[in-house]
Amino acid sequence: MVDQFTDDELARRRAAGRRLAWALGAAVLALYVIGFFIQR
Amino acid sequence: MKRLAAPALALGALQPAAAFADYQWNFPKPVTPIARDTLNIHNEFMLVITVLFVVVFAIMIYSMVKHRKSVGHEPAKFSGPTGKLQWFWVLVPFGMLLFIDFVLMGIPAFHAVIEMEDTKTRADMVIKVTGLQWKWQYEYPDDGIKFMSNMTTPPEQIANQGAKGEHYLLEVDNPLVLPVGKKVRVLLTATDVIHTWWVPQFGVKRDAIPGFIRETWVKIEEPGTYRGQCAELCGKGHGFMPVVVKALPEAEYAAWRDAKKTELAQAAAGAERAWSKDELMAQGKEVYAKQCAVCHQPEGQGLPPAFPALAGSKIVTGPLLSKDGKLLPDSHVDRVLNGKPGTAMQAFKGTLNDVELAAVITYERNALGNAKGDMIQPAQIKLLR
Amino acid sequence: MNTATTTVNGHAGHHDGGHHPTGILRWLTTTNHKDIGTMYLSFALIMFFVGGIMILAVRAELFSPGLQLMQPEFFNQLIGVHALVMIFAALMPAATGFANWQIPLMIGAPDMALPRLNNWGFWLLPPAAILLTMPFVLALFGIGDGAIATGWTFYAPLSVQGGIGVDFAIFAVHILGISSILGSINIIVTIFNMRAPGMTMMKLPLFCWGWLITAFLLIATIPVLAGAVTMLLTDRHFGTHFFNAAGGGDPILFQHLFWFFGHPEVYILLLPVWGLMPHVLATFSRKPTYGYRGQVYGFIAIGILSVIVWAHHFFTAGMPVPALLYFMYSTMAISLPLAVLFFCWIATMWRGSMSFETPMLFAVGFIVLFGIAGLTGLVLADVAADAQYHHSYFVVAHFHYALFAGGIMGVMTGVYYWLPKWTGRMYSETLGKWHFWLTVLSFNLTFMPQFFLGLAGMPRRIPDYALQFAEFNAISTVGSFILGLSQLLFAWNIIQCARGRGAPAESRAWEGAEGLEWELSSPPPHHSWEVQPQVK
Repeated sequence: MVDQFTDDELARRRAAGRRLAWALGAAVLALYVIGFFIQR
Repeated sequence: MKRLAAPALALGALQPAAAFADYQWNFPKPVTPIARDTLNIHNEFMLVITVLFVVVFAIMIYSMVKHRKSVGHEPAKFSGPTGKLQWFWVLVPFGMLLFIDFVLMGIPAFHAVIEMEDTKTRADMVIKVTGLQWKWQYEYPDDGIKFMSNMTTPPEQIANQGAKGEHYLLEVDNPLVLPVGKKVRVLLTATDVIHTWWVPQFGVKRDAIPGFIRETWVKIEEPGTYRGQCAELCGKGHGFMPVVVKALPEAEYAAWRDAKKTELAQAAAGAERAWSKDELMAQGKEVYAKQCAVCHQPEGQGLPPAFPALAGSKIVTGPLLSKDGKLLPDSHVDRVLNGKPGTAMQAFKGTLNDVELAAVITYERNALGNAKGDMIQPAQIKLLR
Repeated sequence: MNTATTTVNGHAGHHDGGHHPTGILRWLTTTNHKDIGTMYLSFALIMFFVGGIMILAVRAELFSPGLQLMQPEFFNQLIGVHALVMIFAALMPAATGFANWQIPLMIGAPDMALPRLNNWGFWLLPPAAILLTMPFVLALFGIGDGAIATGWTFYAPLSVQGGIGVDFAIFAVHILGISSILGSINIIVTIFNMRAPGMTMMKLPLFCWGWLITAFLLIATIPVLAGAVTMLLTDRHFGTHFFNAAGGGDPILFQHLFWFFGHPEVYILLLPVWGLMPHVLATFSRKPTYGYRGQVYGFIAIGILSVIVWAHHFFTAGMPVPALLYFMYSTMAISLPLAVLFFCWIATMWRGSMSFETPMLFAVGFIVLFGIAGLTGLVLADVAADAQYHHSYFVVAHFHYALFAGGIMGVMTGVYYWLPKWTGRMYSETLGKWHFWLTVLSFNLTFMPQFFLGLAGMPRRIPDYALQFAEFNAISTVGSFILGLSQLLFAWNIIQCARGRGAPAESRAWEGAEGLEWELSSPPPHHSWEVQPQVK
């Protein structure tokens, strides 16, 4: 087990966090937009 | 805080003692098979959840009394079930809950739902209920009977300027009349927004949805007058559109039906003859008070911007008809007959007869501060439909 | 849970001296999770009183039959805006405020993963709250006819018919939705990426688990709500007919879309509270949380079930029998994971060494009253009986037991529990206890009669009522005013702590408290964990 996150590791985690955030945001937008095209 | 509460409680005690007798802790007395089932189910469920509540919280309160720091109880260390016996005691409550959910409650619920939704089997008659802002229209398709049901509680009582009657807010001019002991299939729809037809003693509550038909059924077991209300928020008059149903023994119901038919036929016959302006104005005043005054106000001043004033209105004081007697789009007559989509102004041609329409149009043009001087005949309305 | 730390942060907040803006600019530009948490919580408290005043006006009108204080139009506006304010501007921001303050402290992170996004998430709220309430003010100047008068549910076609208040509410809901989505994204990202070394998902504090499920529910359902109200907007102004039968649409479609969001929303409001409850119970029982895994799985199960039961909110609208049966039985199934939570809460207390400080009192009050909400919810699931309960005061009472006793009293539990950590001061225990007892007693005085009103047949959302409902309504109104006034004690207690009055709080403010947040000083340093803690 690592004692503490290195600066590199922290930077990597922040980058991964940003990617995940964009992905979630895109999913939300997709859900919103696609909804208008669903037909009964 | 306590000092503030005391006068408030005293105020509460000043409520009329007469109404105290109506204090009620459960559903009102059921008069249909559905209502009886619903009451039984409700009573059973209340018993079940009360027992659950008492047992669960008795255990908790026991623990709160016994396992306190102040009585020197040393905390245990466990953080989950260990061993077969403990797992057994953990799983028992869930087994019981499964049983309660899907057997004890689930099975009677299943049967009640099937019964409730079975509107078609052995139905003796059909009635159609239409919700409008803010009144009900009842129609007996087999007998050609159709009438509106408006609340009759006077505005003075609502404004606290007069003593409130016994059936305050739960009284109408024309109640729905139904025979006792017959299975009545009730079709529901609405013209403007969603309303909900509810009579607690029938155990029936169903939405009336514009553009769609929903259905339910009642089989009233004893004669009487049963009162309910619209249950879905439908605008400013939501609290003022009661449902009143008068259940009559079969013979009396037949007599009522025949009398009503004759009455409606006479009213319709009036459309053929020429009416004098005074006659139309007198009838128009009545129609206005019942149909229009809620929104446009008794003096025609309206409640802008949602409900425009009729006094001095451009539409009301505009031309009546085109030169060759045709309907002018967006004219006064057009509005009254066809309404204005997307607003609370509804199409009255479906709910009022020719005489009433001619009367109210004539009235609006020559009263409420307007003085157009013209008039329209029921016969003309008939042609415009 | 066996979290323990090897490093304790000893640096007091010396890092922030000088290079941060002060005054209003500090709050406008802050990216610090504690500042933002404080702003969320303050905003929630203010809006709690705004929404409360609205409903007290309603209760005053309902004190006796007849119209005394207001016309039905205004009454309808008050009930709808009360609900929107309480749900979107009081309860949700309060929960987000908790998340902002606590999640970094509890998982050993220096801050939220996306601090600037966090700032945006908060600053979208005040404009939305203004949009929601502005139509009231505009009406005073003769513009429009007041706020949204359709109830918080926006049901079409009533909302298509409504005035400008509906448009304002539609835009407010969009903005509030964006704010919630941003907050949720931040929380998910923080929990997934910023946990201290050694903190596996199955060591994650339950509060964080509760919020994680909440965040996913928000991301899944807010777009549906936004879509529904956008469709409403285009129906109102751009000639579409999504909800108009005359144009081939369906008014019930709106109800499906709304409640697809609306039912999970209940759990969105409650999951953060269910998450913090075990912490409080374990602390004051001086005993480890019972059934950590069971609770985590319970949260997940409830999260999943919550998105497949929506139609029980409109059984009376009529639907095919198989649909009725499906929604009835799936709704009943929610009682099982919920029972797991109740079981774990009580088992955590069982054979502990309990003491009853204010947070514990609120926690116990929450369990009992929320129990009533759960049990009445179970009977509401029954389609046949629901025909009587639905649209009546029975439902009003039920969801206030869920959302006041479950939601707001849960939030109060958290506030009293963590206030010493946030402010570094102990609140007044005497006032706290007064607040608890007044709240619990007056809450029941307010809402217990409403169950009986509903059974007797009083529909909800009516400005005036028949004479047989008079006594219970009068009692309810008296209760509501005591309830409203008691909340001033709550505000006073918080303000006193924030002003630095009261005894200083230790790092571990409560004797039995476990968890990373109690390793930090009270209040914590400006940057929470400069040296990351280790979790064994």
